[in-house]
Amino acid sequence: MSPSTPAAIGLELLLLGAAGALGAWALCRGWRQRRQDRQRALAEDVLKHIFTAREEGRQADAKAIAGRLAMAASKVSAMLARMEAQGLVRSDGDALRLTPEGEQRALHVVRAHRLWETYLAHQARLPTAQLHKPAEKEEHRLTPAQVEELEARLGHPARDPHGDPIPSASGHVVAQEIRALAEWPAGERAEIVHVEDEPETVFRGLADQGLHAGQVVRITARRPEAVTFTDGERQYELTPLEAAQIQVAAVSAESADCAGLVRLSQLRIGEEAEVRRLDPQLQGLTRRRLLDLGLTPGARVTAVLSNAFGDPRAFRVRGTTVALRNDQAALVWVRPYAEPDHQAEASQR
Amino acid sequence: MSDPVESARAVLERADQLRSRLAAEFRDRRVEALYAEAERIARRVVRAQGQRARDWDAHIDRLVTSPIFGLPLMLLLIAATFWITIVGANYPSERIAALLFGLEERAVAAFQWLGAPWWLTGFLWNGVYRGLAWVVSVMLPPMAIFFPMFTILEDLGYLPRVAFNLDWLFRKAGAHGKQALTMAMGFGCNAAGVIAARIIDSPRERLIAILTNNFVPCNGRYPTLIMLATVFVAAQFPPAFASFAAAGAVVAVVLLGVAVTLAVSWTLSRTVLRGEASAFTLELPPYRRPSILRILYTSLIDRTVFVLLRAMATAAPAGALIWLLGNVHWGGQSLARHGANFLHPLGHAIGLDGVVLLAYLIAIPANEIVVPTMLMMYLGAGMMTEVSGFDEIRRVLVDQNGWTLLTAVNLMLFSLLHNPCGTTILTIWKETRSLRWTAVGALLPLGLAFLVTFAVATAVRLIG
Repeated sequence: MSPSTPAAIGLELLLLGAAGALGAWALCRGWRQRRQDRQRALAEDVLKHIFTAREEGRQADAKAIAGRLAMAASKVSAMLARMEAQGLVRSDGDALRLTPEGEQRALHVVRAHRLWETYLAHQARLPTAQLHKPAEKEEHRLTPAQVEELEARLGHPARDPHGDPIPSASGHVVAQEIRALAEWPAGERAEIVHVEDEPETVFRGLADQGLHAGQVVRITARRPEAVTFTDGERQYELTPLEAAQIQVAAVSAESADCAGLVRLSQLRIGEEAEVRRLDPQLQGLTRRRLLDLGLTPGARVTAVLSNAFGDPRAFRVRGTTVALRNDQAALVWVRPYAEPDHQAEASQR
Repeated sequence: MSDPVESARAVLERADQLRSRLAAEFRDRRVEALYAEAERIARRVVRAQGQRARDWDAHIDRLVTSPIFGLPLMLLLIAATFWITIVGANYPSERIAALLFGLEERAVAAFQWLGAPWWLTGFLWNGVYRGLAWVVSVMLPPMAIFFPMFTILEDLGYLPRVAFNLDWLFRKAGAHGKQALTMAMGFGCNAAGVIAARIIDSPRERLIAILTNNFVPCNGRYPTLIMLATVFVAAQFPPAFASFAAAGAVVAVVLLGVAVTLAVSWTLSRTVLRGEASAFTLELPPYRRPSILRILYTSLIDRTVFVLLRAMATAAPAGALIWLLGNVHWGGQSLARHGANFLHPLGHAIGLDGVVLLAYLIAIPANEIVVPTMLMMYLGAGMMTEVSGFDEIRRVLVDQNGWTLLTAVNLMLFSLLHNPCGTTILTIWKETRSLRWTAVGALLPLGLAFLVTFAVATAVRLIG
């Protein structure tokens, strides 16, 4: 069995050597490819940083980039020099600006990032706090054609789940006048339009409290150490640092007439109500599905069945019986048909 | 005419600008308008008459989804279905077996009279034909009874109510509510269940539904379960209760399968396939009077005959293979013996034996033929040429091959949990287009099957 002649041993060594060389070559190629990908991703991150800095009215410079990407200043300047040579950026004193070509690339990456976050939130239903990381990776992988297809499939959303605007392929942005939460006059209602998702720990804290874009709130008190506000169901108290993460705007027409509504999940079995609106949190497929089932404003619904666990429950709408999980029924706002004792009971629940 | 590319770009640019001026909820408005128009038309042309049917539906719905009676009623329905199958299948099985094996004997005699060589007679009749005969006699009667009953429940509109009753559990497991439906499809056939997972939109939850579908026993595995329940579990009880005990055992296995489905879904949705349960809406359609003809057609032609033909297509070559393994000798022993001896230590560790594992290896293309394969291998070595009815199966397994209750229980567990059949594995690959997930779909259940049976066997042996 064992190779005894020198010729056999020699042949075996030769084969082993060849296999080793092949393996090393493949490894080297893979490594070089990965290095290139990493370089490209870094360059795209720099472009994105300059783009979003301009969006927020900040100045982008080498120092900010070094801090943002956690890189040594010397490496950053070497990289910026390379990008300038490639015609992606140009420096204007300290400030960095995008060339038309750089602008195009940055726009693509920003769109990829925000659309992917939207996709993950609406279609794959990931919680808001888990959107950023996968999007940071995917933004470097999607091709422009894929991004356009994604945009079309999502129905050209104007904003991502955090409230950041999604520019169109030509760079067009839906304008909206926004202000920091802390600057909104106390006592007046405002709609949260943007919850900044970085730094992550602060964002996670806000998301855990249930704060999200689309919520209608009213500031009750503003002190130097805290801002307190309410959304009609819960009281929130945020530190100024946390409150700075939240931007608000005037209440949109759709959100305006929420007063006196209850959630569909709060109806008792046998109780009837009229659908008023679907919560802005319901987006994408879910929203479309509920609309398709006939849960449109003005439709009459009756709670009819509940299973052994009290979730899901079934509702009668437009001649069919439809079962909904409670967390979704909670996002459909209805107005119960007047019953003398309803108000009292609703407040007990 | 200007440059078409230029003008197209201008149109797109304009669309871009106009789109941004649409109100955020303009899609809602559009659906509202559609519904308003549909309502207007319906008011003009549809006249509603009578409320009786609707009232009946409401009464039945309140009963079958009732917080108190809903779940017990569901269990009772499943148990009754299995009980009728078990009671009804016993006698026809014996008759068909007696008939088919009688035919084999006569054919063998005729071949000998004609002077055919022994290997031709053996290969054709004791191999290919016997494989077919086994499959037909063990599988046909339970299927011909079970499928029509299952189809009636399906046709009535009961399955969505089952999904409604169980949804809370699936939600807790991080799975999609429709997984209850794909699971129900899996009772018919796991490959069909895997394809049915297309109804789930979210890729994450769809993958969970695909990977866990195998944990509900498909009809290819019912005959195994029913036979084991009848031969071993029922025998422990007095005759009056035997059939109930057997039905109870099958229901217990099915419930265990549902529990494993939920447990594995829960684990997957918290580890490799992390995420929240996605939106779920389920229509509870009105009850319909089942149409007898359609039930007979779907259950007998679409299901019974289809499954039987598929089983026969794999049973014929498997029968030939078994005959060859049993009759080709090498070093003084048949190949089947070698294989069984080789697998025996592993089989023993999980409370089974080498023959069972070898049977499972041969039966990878279709689970339906596990029991026939096993019996043929046991019989190939033994002296009996003809087995009819469950009593004699019991004699073969217990008296001649040393089976115990542990063997039977572990075989039921192994049959419930082990890897999906070849068709299902192929379907998983077609649906996921990923070798990695296909491997997970095949190896995860197999690993779990070994783990659970090993744990049970060890525990029983330790206790004594």
